Amino acid sequence: MTKIIKPTYINRCNGCELCIFEAQRQLKKVGLEDSLIRVFRKKNPETQALGFELEIDPRINILDIEKIELICPKKVFEVEEDTKND
Amino acid sequence: MIDISVKKVLSIDLEKQEADVKSFIDLNKYFGGTGLGLKFLEIYKDKNPLIFSVGPLNGFFPYTSKTSIVLEKDSAVEDIYIGGSLSTRIKFAGIDSVVLFGVSKEETILDIQNSVVNFKNKDTEPQSLGLPGKRSGIYFEGDKLLCDQYFTTPEYYLETILKEKNIKGITITGTEIFSPKNFDDYKKLYLEILDRKLDLRVDPADYPSCSGCPVGCGKSKVGEIGGNVLLNSLVACQFADKIYTDIGIVFSCLNTLGYEYTHEDIENLPGLIEETIRNISK
Repeated sequence: MTKIIKPTYINRCNGCELCIFEAQRQLKKVGLEDSLIRVFRKKNPETQALGFELEIDPRINILDIEKIELICPKKVFEVEEDTKND
Repeated sequence: MIDISVKKVLSIDLEKQEADVKSFIDLNKYFGGTGLGLKFLEIYKDKNPLIFSVGPLNGFFPYTSKTSIVLEKDSAVEDIYIGGSLSTRIKFAGIDSVVLFGVSKEETILDIQNSVVNFKNKDTEPQSLGLPGKRSGIYFEGDKLLCDQYFTTPEYYLETILKEKNIKGITITGTEIFSPKNFDDYKKLYLEILDRKLDLRVDPADYPSCSGCPVGCGKSKVGEIGGNVLLNSLVACQFADKIYTDIGIVFSCLNTLGYEYTHEDIENLPGLIEETIRNISK
């Protein structure tokens, strides 16, 4: 069964971008271009607190997603079985 | 592809609204950050420059997340440091320093993408500039400048000089990539350094983090001022001094990336910086 990575606990994200850099390292590059994960900053209009949103490209499964899950210091991600596509 | 064999400066003439990129192979000995910033302050001294610089490790290794800002205020040289994602965006724009000189005729926003600069009207919505996820922005919120809507600098030096230059904000987007020659060695060293969280002089917390730092500490919001010349030329976080004042580790990082520095270059840096400051003061 295929595994997928989800940013289940996105409210914990601190925007460190280590997930981006891990994904890029697995593709043997350093940088942001063509990254399979993107992190966006967004201020909450009511509280003015800075929050983050993640966009994960479905092609992320070509990578070792468990390493991406592990490198996150805030445990934002969960890796689980993809029950929809199997 | 980012070229680490030379120092590249994006110089922006605010009065003429012109920009160009120059490459300096002979400035490699200044490393980057404050070393390079001071050298550009010497070169552009007559034009009241404001210089943002990154170091050779920014974007490549953990805890090297600051951007150096060098400027002259009331005949005193000031070096300040700001966190956030600005350093990685400058690095991934493929440049080492951004020098703003002169004064813009009208209030302007700078939209920088790699080496290309667009001069935008003061009413341009910052969110419309750059590429989301690959950009960093410095904009006024009240009387304070914030990077990425959160990080700022100590004092008001940056705010004052940007107001003098008629600059309302800056967005910078970096889309270049780099691939160290020996990628496996790079990856191993990266993970070893990332694993040294206990060597930092700050505790992990729940604040927004600088790019490439997992800690989310409470200190990064206000940036830094002054400090160790090696740290400041690498533009590493001052709270990572146990890691980045260790010449052996710095040398390994530089070597792994393909920089051709020697131990002697690292040891000579403080002397070069002293000499540059003397030249600026003349």
